[in-house]
Amino acid sequence: MSIKSLRKAPLAPAATVLMAGTAGAAQNKAVDELIAKIKDESAKVRTEAWLSAGKVGAPAVKPLAKVMTNENLEVARAAKRALWKIVRVAGRPGAEEEKKAVADELIPLLANDQPTSVRREVLWMLSEIGERNSVRPIARSMRNDALVEDARMALERIPGRRAVKALKAAFETVPEDFKPNIAQSLRNRGEEVAGYPCQKLVPTKKTNVEPLK
Amino acid sequence: MKQSSQFNRREFLAAAGAAMSVPYLIPSGVLAARGRGGANERLTMAHIGVGGMGGYHLQDMKRFVKAGIVNIAAVCDVDEKRLAAAVETAGPGAQPYRDYRYILERKDIDAVVIATPDHWHAVQMVHAAECGKHVYVEKPACCTIEEGKAMVAAAKKNNVSVQVGSQGRSQPEAYLAHRYLVNGNIGHIDKVTCFHYNSPEDSNPVPDSDPPPELDWDLWLGPLRWRPYNQKYCHGVFRWVLESGGGQIRDRGAHVMSCAMWWMGADGTGPVTVEATGTAPTKGLWDSAVTMDVTYTFKNPDWVLTWNQHTGNAVPAEERTGKEPGGKISRPGYGAVYHGTQGKFVHWGGDGGTWVEKKAREWNPPAGAKDVYKSPGHKEDWFKGIKTGAKTIMNIEASVGVANLCVLGNLSYILGRKLQWDQAKQEIVGDEQARRMMGRPQRHPYHL
Repeated sequence: MSIKSLRKAPLAPAATVLMAGTAGAAQNKAVDELIAKIKDESAKVRTEAWLSAGKVGAPAVKPLAKVMTNENLEVARAAKRALWKIVRVAGRPGAEEEKKAVADELIPLLANDQPTSVRREVLWMLSEIGERNSVRPIARSMRNDALVEDARMALERIPGRRAVKALKAAFETVPEDFKPNIAQSLRNRGEEVAGYPCQKLVPTKKTNVEPLK
Repeated sequence: MKQSSQFNRREFLAAAGAAMSVPYLIPSGVLAARGRGGANERLTMAHIGVGGMGGYHLQDMKRFVKAGIVNIAAVCDVDEKRLAAAVETAGPGAQPYRDYRYILERKDIDAVVIATPDHWHAVQMVHAAECGKHVYVEKPACCTIEEGKAMVAAAKKNNVSVQVGSQGRSQPEAYLAHRYLVNGNIGHIDKVTCFHYNSPEDSNPVPDSDPPPELDWDLWLGPLRWRPYNQKYCHGVFRWVLESGGGQIRDRGAHVMSCAMWWMGADGTGPVTVEATGTAPTKGLWDSAVTMDVTYTFKNPDWVLTWNQHTGNAVPAEERTGKEPGGKISRPGYGAVYHGTQGKFVHWGGDGGTWVEKKAREWNPPAGAKDVYKSPGHKEDWFKGIKTGAKTIMNIEASVGVANLCVLGNLSYILGRKLQWDQAKQEIVGDEQARRMMGRPQRHPYHL
């Protein structure tokens, strides 16, 4: 180590903290600006905001999720579209860290304290991102009656053995009337399932309309 | 060629035996096999989805009932009002159903016409094929790449005749354009630019609500993930939702690009890259691109196909007297320009109305000129496929190829990036997220 570098050494951690602080402040500003524009009265401003949300990325995920249940339907819709834009930008080839960061922000949004509409959307977002670490949280969502079918479909889409294992585990615990659904997912993933034949060709819904005599 | 309304059974059977310029699926000795009635038997038909285009098909099918070619045995819709109206149209003998699977259970039904929203096409076509029914299914064939693969596989495995409703290929002027182009009248064509006006924006968004009592919302959604009902989903306006309708590119693209693939001799081929840009609607449920530009690059042979969706970009329509084979141009807002080394060629429409430039209509083929397949009519061509095993003009392989163009264009727009496509493997390469979006998990039990 040179004298020059020895002189610099004690300063390095402080500089790192300072830089991180500056970056964090810039990031917070970008998120605040995005959320403000998503809530703007102008449809044009909202649209431009959600279209540009990919640049803001993971830090905007949770703030946007809060706006997804805004009482103004168009504001809520803009927030949802912004979140999807972040998912699509983060999923591009070569952006592994961004993708993981976004998935890490989405996963807590599957918690029980989140609105069902948000959780349902997040399940589908995670299914597109396809990260392994989302498998267990998604599988836990299968305990919720309102989410179980979306969670099944999300798991069906996520690559790797972990998702198949989660489906198999769920198959053992779900109510009897839901087992055919999981059996179908397992078959789609190349697994053999005995005892729960495919029901896709079984008609169930009758009409009240009468034929002409 | 006689007008279809004058097409009687004898003429149909004569046409069915002629003009076999396309390959056979099965040898003619297999006539009267399962669902493939003998030459003197009427086909027993069912209509699944009887509003919008489905209502048109049901009405149109009655001319074949009168001609002694088919019987209409069943009608089906998830909307009871539409179903009741269809029962009146079809007349006595047509059994109404809400759930199309009752129709597939019936052994007496040979063929089905599927005119449901796009998100149902693949599931219902595959199910019908698995039950041995011949299928006429509305365009676009599929909403995802994986659905398309399943459709091709099901038709092949079950040896059923499938016609997809890109009926532009069967229009009289389409034949004239095809013949004109393949004979090199504008030289070597290396670019086709499709023009179309914008997809609409929802100017009056409404909140979610309860579905109307006549509508089975669960069955309308079918394979799609569940969501609350909203008036802006249905009926016909499903078209403007990316997930179910895919916008203008999946609606009219499945017509205009169908003509392009047919006339360019490009069925069975596909692009190597797809790149789309577009503008998003500023409010409302509808999320299809309002304006859109997509570039498809083909290799070996090299040519470029573009989809340009901008109101006001149409080529001015040609003056007509109304006595031309296709009559007056009633939909001049979409079509395509073919760019050749020795000139350009324009057509308008591309669906049930396909109008081509005068120079193609009036071209007299010299001795030795190439001829091309002339469809006897889109449904007639399907009946021919059913009776003889001949491949239909808009067969499932060709239709899936065209639908894939629409699907890939939308995927590139949604993802905001260029996609690489492997035609031989029928898959996107080098983009794992895009690859996952080649399919879409489907709700139980409405799945492939």
